[in-house]
Amino acid sequence: MPAILNPRFELIGSRTLGASALTPKGGVVDVAKAGTRGVIGALLAAEAGEDAWLLRDAASPPDASAGDGRVWLQTSGTTGKPKWAGYSVAHLAARIAAGKGERARWLLTYNPGAFAGVQVILSAMMGGHVLVAPAPGAPVSEMARIAASTGVTHVSGTPTFWRAFLMALGDAPLSLRSITLGGEAVDQPLLDSLKHRFPQAALRHIYATTEVGTVFSVSDGRAGFPRDWLYQPLNGLKLTLSADDTLRVENPKASGMAQNQVWDTGDVVELSGDRVLFKGRMDAMVNVGGVKVFPETVEAHLLALPFVQDVRVTPKPNPITGHVLTADIVLKPFSGEVEPKIKAHLAELPRAARPASLRFVDTLDIGATGKKLRAV
Amino acid sequence: MTALALIQTELTQMLGDKGAATGEITADTPLLNGPFDIDSLDLATLVVTLEEKTGLTPFAGGFVLFHTAGELAALFGD
Repeated sequence: MPAILNPRFELIGSRTLGASALTPKGGVVDVAKAGTRGVIGALLAAEAGEDAWLLRDAASPPDASAGDGRVWLQTSGTTGKPKWAGYSVAHLAARIAAGKGERARWLLTYNPGAFAGVQVILSAMMGGHVLVAPAPGAPVSEMARIAASTGVTHVSGTPTFWRAFLMALGDAPLSLRSITLGGEAVDQPLLDSLKHRFPQAALRHIYATTEVGTVFSVSDGRAGFPRDWLYQPLNGLKLTLSADDTLRVENPKASGMAQNQVWDTGDVVELSGDRVLFKGRMDAMVNVGGVKVFPETVEAHLLALPFVQDVRVTPKPNPITGHVLTADIVLKPFSGEVEPKIKAHLAELPRAARPASLRFVDTLDIGATGKKLRAV
Repeated sequence: MTALALIQTELTQMLGDKGAATGEITADTPLLNGPFDIDSLDLATLVVTLEEKTGLTPFAGGFVLFHTAGELAALFGD
């Protein structure tokens, strides 16, 4: 039995498969067709020394000529042509903590061919857990239904996923033991909602970058991270701030980065009491009439309203001020007439940060990474 | 509704919302540096509203100079 496949592992997809039914298959794997089972086959093939390409966007086919036993993943390509990055299975597995305690039932909320999806799959495979895998691209409402009917205990997803999941789940009985958030900045109202809905669950949010891997994990139930983690050794790394208040990671040990190198994450932070809070991506910053604004900060402000389920703030070109912000808002059910309340709440922001138009929508488009799409 | 009527309605609403003086807006009323307390952010918001309500995007190809309410209305189909 391969080292990454614990014999107790079980895959629940369109049907239930035990570890012995899973076989290695490398080469180009079309994730949409082959699903989670195909991704597992690719991981097993790579462990056995074969190369495997997890194809999600056929517009960017791989140069399938390597040959040193790597798993090749496609970036989501939200801002350009998808890129391929190869990882050894040992490198991917190095981030996985050994399974301990009770057997978990994991729900796969990410695309199985995405980096975060592979991490969840490997966690379940190596720990001998049960992996509940909806079809790639299944809507969140379907995932909520599957989660409730299969009784999952462990769920990892983006904040955008979790907001939609909470709404779709409603009062359905579900008792989670572990909740993980990652991929986007986490806001306090979401953490509070999750604590309220799943009081028994261990709650943590992970900060990771594609380039460095996992940097830290926060489990105190508060947004951001402790201020005293800055300028101190942390998991073999050191976090510092640039002159533009972007978070920098120094001395990353992850492969592909030299020692003593400094990686600027492009995430702008602010210091607030004993906390470091995320304001938004430097590359998402918008200049509105000469004022720098972060769409994510405006989103966080709106998410503090109890009737706002989710919101996406995007810049729109404008002939007068260069750009203005616009907001797409998903309201919780039975919210009633709330536009005046939203406008009054927005009046607390600097004028340039107030969206020039509010649209009320049923859902937000979620990209292949589970994050909100941010097309400019 | 003509674009000018839309501009009159929206500007009056916008000025009222921020507690500024309102009054008659005609085709000849200058928008910036005119009789009303309208700044560039107000004007930017007005353009977004006009784009949404008319479906027209006269600035898609770049900035077009306008001074008065009537000139802006002309860009939005009047």
